[in-house]
Amino acid sequence: MSTIDIELHSVSKKFGANRIVKNVNLAIPKGKFVSILGPSGCGKTTTLNMIAGFESPTSGEIRIRGTDQTGIPPEARKIGLVFQNYALFPHMTVAENVGFGLKMQGRSREEVAAGAKRALKSVRLEGFENRYPKELSGGQQQRVAVARAIAPSPSVLLLDEPLSNLDLKLREAMRVELKEIQQDLGMTFVYVTHDQEEAMAMSDRIIVMQGGAVAQEGAPADIYGRPRTSFVADFIGKSNILPISAVADAKTGNGSWRVLLGTAGMPIMAARMPGLVPDKARFCCIRPEAVRLADAAGALDEPANLLTGTIQKVVNLGAYLEAWLLVDGEITLKSMIRSSRLDKLAVGHRVELAIAHAAVQLLEE
Amino acid sequence: MAVIAFSTLQSPARRVLSVKTFLPLLAPSIVLTLFFAVPMGMMIGISFQSLDGGAPTLASYSRFVKDGLVLAGLGRTVVMSGLVAVCVTVLAYPLAYYLARSTSRWRTVVLALAIAPELAGVVLRTYGWLIILDDRGFINSALMWVGVIFEPLPLSKNLFGVVVGLTHVILPFGVLSLLTSLQGISPNLERSAQILGASRLAVIRHIVLPLSVPGIISSLLVGFTMAASAYATPALLGGAGFKVMATMVYEQVLFYLDWPFAAVMANVLLILMVGVAFIGSRLESRLNQKLHL
Ligand SMILES: Nc1ncnc2c1ncn2[C@@H]1O[C@H](COP(=O)(O)OP(=O)(O)OP(=O)(O)O)[C@@H](O)[C@H]1O
Ligand SMILES: [Mg+2]
Repeated sequence: MSTIDIELHSVSKKFGANRIVKNVNLAIPKGKFVSILGPSGCGKTTTLNMIAGFESPTSGEIRIRGTDQTGIPPEARKIGLVFQNYALFPHMTVAENVGFGLKMQGRSREEVAAGAKRALKSVRLEGFENRYPKELSGGQQQRVAVARAIAPSPSVLLLDEPLSNLDLKLREAMRVELKEIQQDLGMTFVYVTHDQEEAMAMSDRIIVMQGGAVAQEGAPADIYGRPRTSFVADFIGKSNILPISAVADAKTGNGSWRVLLGTAGMPIMAARMPGLVPDKARFCCIRPEAVRLADAAGALDEPANLLTGTIQKVVNLGAYLEAWLLVDGEITLKSMIRSSRLDKLAVGHRVELAIAHAAVQLLEE
Repeated sequence: MAVIAFSTLQSPARRVLSVKTFLPLLAPSIVLTLFFAVPMGMMIGISFQSLDGGAPTLASYSRFVKDGLVLAGLGRTVVMSGLVAVCVTVLAYPLAYYLARSTSRWRTVVLALAIAPELAGVVLRTYGWLIILDDRGFINSALMWVGVIFEPLPLSKNLFGVVVGLTHVILPFGVLSLLTSLQGISPNLERSAQILGASRLAVIRHIVLPLSVPGIISSLLVGFTMAASAYATPALLGGAGFKVMATMVYEQVLFYLDWPFAAVMANVLLILMVGVAFIGSRLESRLNQKLHL
């Protein structure tokens, strides 16, 4: 048995003359929570629709559990799907909704009822069997939609922005619950979202899409810590993306690269990026939390760039302060600094900054 | 057409309307009163007149309930209208479903073809059917020429011919009433059912059909009332062999000059249609509530 549940080989999709999905290659491992993350209109739903069988690829091949899916209709693919607007059947009770998949498999009345009960239990929604969808809150409808999709025990569950209709509090609670449900069932989840926080919080792997193509794929920490392009760096979390004028491959002891920042060409040491041709780098990314005050409290025990900056603006975000620092007269750096250090940060003051070499990431484009 | 207004009035949100909102309705109200309410009132008045100009009487009404020929006509009207309603709805359903779901560029063409017959006028279309269904019409001549039959098949001057003609005339209205209802069903519901293992047929049976019952009722209503009130098609395709209320009213007015009796028949027809429309639209709104739409 293969450990890959879903594979996409060079899958493209055209609508008329528009190429919406471009040469996507994916391998989604069994039992993992995988997110497809990207801005609105980048082709996430289209990709999901092709996996579900509602659209067929213009070219390329989709395999589910090792079998080519060309010509196999959605009803024969044995996968689950949760829509953004839940798409609950309005004329059926919760129990009938959840039991629908089992009923279509030709199970007996008792089996259908038992299966529906089990699925409702796993989404913690017991006692609502006889309600109609309209009589439920958004969060409850969401649970019914998940229960309905998992009741027939598909090996893969596709979810298309299932939380985007919920308010923030509920959304955050449901993130945790969905992840728990996925782990309890050991089911493969393919989760489509444009919310990077959501993807970071839940996923084992994240696939970042941009304009119909895969921009980067990897574990959440990987994508956050080592974005490959300015698009990914900008889309995932906050970042300072700075233009660089040249990369001098001056190998120091720890193998960092020397980079000239901005037009003035301020030298700074950056992390070595395996696989990146230095000449191709046009930008670098520095996460705001990596820009620290260089004093006893902010000291780093790794090689760091030491810079001087003038404080332009300070925004209090509660636990953190966001400080805008002007470095070298032309580069503005955003930094996240703990609120306890507010006394250090008066507008107009000059402060010493430390940025670890490893925190300066070169970007391909 | 009264029926269409009837069913669209059933909007779920009843808002409180101010005088200002009614102001634009003033002109149409006057026109309707003049050309609709006044003649209606006159019809009711005439139905109580006695033929010799005497005091108001129920004579025409009592004649109606005793007249076997007229009652048979009423029965024929009900049967014919019921059949037309069913035929229209059955034929319109797949067409409306296609129109509601298709994204192909042929959609507009099909929609135009579905509506276009309305532009040709009832009489013209009915003559078209006469050419096809008549004893010496296309079908019968062709079959006799080939030698399959020796006597013409009774395709017109009977229930069959009238139902065929009326179904064709009323079909677009059935399509339109079903289209509204089918367009209200989210394609994602069908996709959900499909991915849960439902075949195309099962999707139709478990999702589309139950959710479109209100549309089916409104199509049946439109079909029934339009058929019951139709005159030209039953007159041309039914002729003397198949008389319905509408053609009999005309006869009373033009040949027998018995206006009170004609008014009684017209009133009975009206009550029949309003009754059916009322029951149907009540059912429709009850179902809409029950389906939680
Ligand atoms: N059936 C279709 N015909 C033509 N264009 C389509 C069709 N479906 C989607 N598109 C186009 O493909 C692009 C990607 O759509 P898709 O729904 O996959 O985006 P998405 O990533 O899911 O976006 P969102 O986050 O807004 O849901 C859009 O520009 C859309 O207009
Ligand atoms: Mg989408």
